[in-house]
Amino acid sequence: MSVIDILTRVDVLCKKYEKYDLDKQWAGADSMSGNDQFLRLYTVVEADIEAAREKSQDAQSEKNRAVVATLNAEVRRSKAALKAEIPKLEKLAAKKVKDLSKEEMAARPDLVVALAQKIEDIPDGVTVGRRGGTWGRKASNPLEIKLDAMHPDDLMRPEHYEQTEESLALRQEYEMRRAKQDEGLDIIAAGLTTLKDMAGDINEELDKQMPLIDEVDTKVDRAAADLKNTNIRLKETLTKMRSNRNFCIDLILIVLILGIGGTLYTYSFSPFTPSFVCLQPLLMYQQSFAVTREQLSVFILNAIVSF
Amino acid sequence: MCVKILKLGKLRKLEDGRASVEEERGRVKVAQRCMTKANYLTTLSFTRWVKDWANATPLFEQAALNFKLVKMPEEAKLAYQQAAMGQIKQSSPWTAAKHMEAAGVLAKELSCWNEVVDFFKQASALYVECGKVQPGADALIRGARAVQELKPNDALTMYMDACRLLEDDNREQMAFDTYRAASNLYIKLNKYREAAVVLLRWGQAANKCKATQSQCKAYLSAIIVYLYAESYEDALACYNNCASMDVFSKSDQDQCAQLLFLAYREGRANEIKHVISTSTIIPHLDHMIIRLAKQLPQGKVMSQEVPEMDIT
Repeated sequence: MSVIDILTRVDVLCKKYEKYDLDKQWAGADSMSGNDQFLRLYTVVEADIEAAREKSQDAQSEKNRAVVATLNAEVRRSKAALKAEIPKLEKLAAKKVKDLSKEEMAARPDLVVALAQKIEDIPDGVTVGRRGGTWGRKASNPLEIKLDAMHPDDLMRPEHYEQTEESLALRQEYEMRRAKQDEGLDIIAAGLTTLKDMAGDINEELDKQMPLIDEVDTKVDRAAADLKNTNIRLKETLTKMRSNRNFCIDLILIVLILGIGGTLYTYSFSPFTPSFVCLQPLLMYQQSFAVTREQLSVFILNAIVSF
Repeated sequence: MCVKILKLGKLRKLEDGRASVEEERGRVKVAQRCMTKANYLTTLSFTRWVKDWANATPLFEQAALNFKLVKMPEEAKLAYQQAAMGQIKQSSPWTAAKHMEAAGVLAKELSCWNEVVDFFKQASALYVECGKVQPGADALIRGARAVQELKPNDALTMYMDACRLLEDDNREQMAFDTYRAASNLYIKLNKYREAAVVLLRWGQAANKCKATQSQCKAYLSAIIVYLYAESYEDALACYNNCASMDVFSKSDQDQCAQLLFLAYREGRANEIKHVISTSTIIPHLDHMIIRLAKQLPQGKVMSQEVPEMDIT
């Protein structure tokens, strides 16, 4: 077991039982306000590593790929920022600090190395081939996706360019969906062509009907004007016919006629008049129709009312 | 009770029938009387030196109406003819034309096809005489439609005369239906070149009144008719002429024609059928043209050589 492993394990145990370490708590309270910049930076970096690790765990448990990608990107960004802090820590670790034992001073560079290793170990969605000679280089799995870690040996392998089952299935699904989309687009295109044709025909029909409607409009206007004129003339004619002057003349004439008729009637009914004998056949004619004086006067009155 | 009602109904029907028979007899008598009187008025004699059309014409009209109602078409037709003559003599060509048309319809019932053609032509001439070109053309079209089954050549003449009338009066838009009817009749008679000519004339008329949709459709229809008549050169020449017009060259019909010619050039019958079956333009043409298109290719299809351009 290497020193780094031991240090890592000790850190985990200390963290677990941190609440029982009164000295640390007091020292933490003191050192935060103290001159030990290394410790301060170390604490901050450790907290950041913890946060990045939590994010990485969330990314692993997340099902939404977009969220996973975002979280992984944040983890990678945090890792890069933390890696930038490591040289600073190394410098601070070499600085002498008051009230610090020699063993602790010697252990600080190892702590920095352990911290760097912790940063490397945070999973960020990318499997990086381990660099390092302690375990030897493993033969990498040809099915794993690798980024920025292509070995020339991998590229020369014949199986590298072959299709896998998954890629075949993906390709088939892609082709199938593309064919369905093409079918749908063809149907839409046919429908649009029909609509375009109908619209064109309607447009032509409207253009054809427009002058006809204008013609009808003109003719109807002319007919309306003629009708209006005719009505005015008719009104004038009726007014002339039914004027007061004509009405008075009509009345006077009717009265005259009635007077003449009545005189003739009374004169003809008198037995001493010579015309009685002449009018006898007329009287008989009258009697045959049973026209009385009253009926005659009623008839004349009705004639006046009708005028 | 129901039986009584039924019996009453039958009696009423019988009575109605008898009444209608009596009414008909009355109409016939009236019509015959009117006809006799009118003929008398229009017959010259020693006492009458001038035909009295003014009094005879209403009598002829009345007689014609009555004969028509009692379904005596022969007599009605004669009466209408005389009435039309009377209206012409009284300088009323419009009414005369109406009477001639009515006589034409009756002649159709009697299957006197020559008379149908004559009457409708005369009616058209009378309409044109009173300055009404559209009714004149309509009369010719009605006459053509009446005789197109049995006298197609006369029908075609009448259709083309109607088209000419409307073209002369700058009413090409009203002639589109006539062009369609004429081209369909030509196709029915297997006169494909003449049909193509009519379609091109339709395209020309559509161009004049800026009906681009109809114009492009007419041109494509003409190309299809030429291809059906197995005259690839004529079809190509027609296409080249039409493609010189911007309106057609930018249209969907032009693209369809190009695909068709490409398939013909390659000499592949399956390709031609595929182009026609998958085209979205051809189904919007006239039904007769669609029927022809679905039967393409006709005859032997050979790959056509594209003429090389002489760049010297």
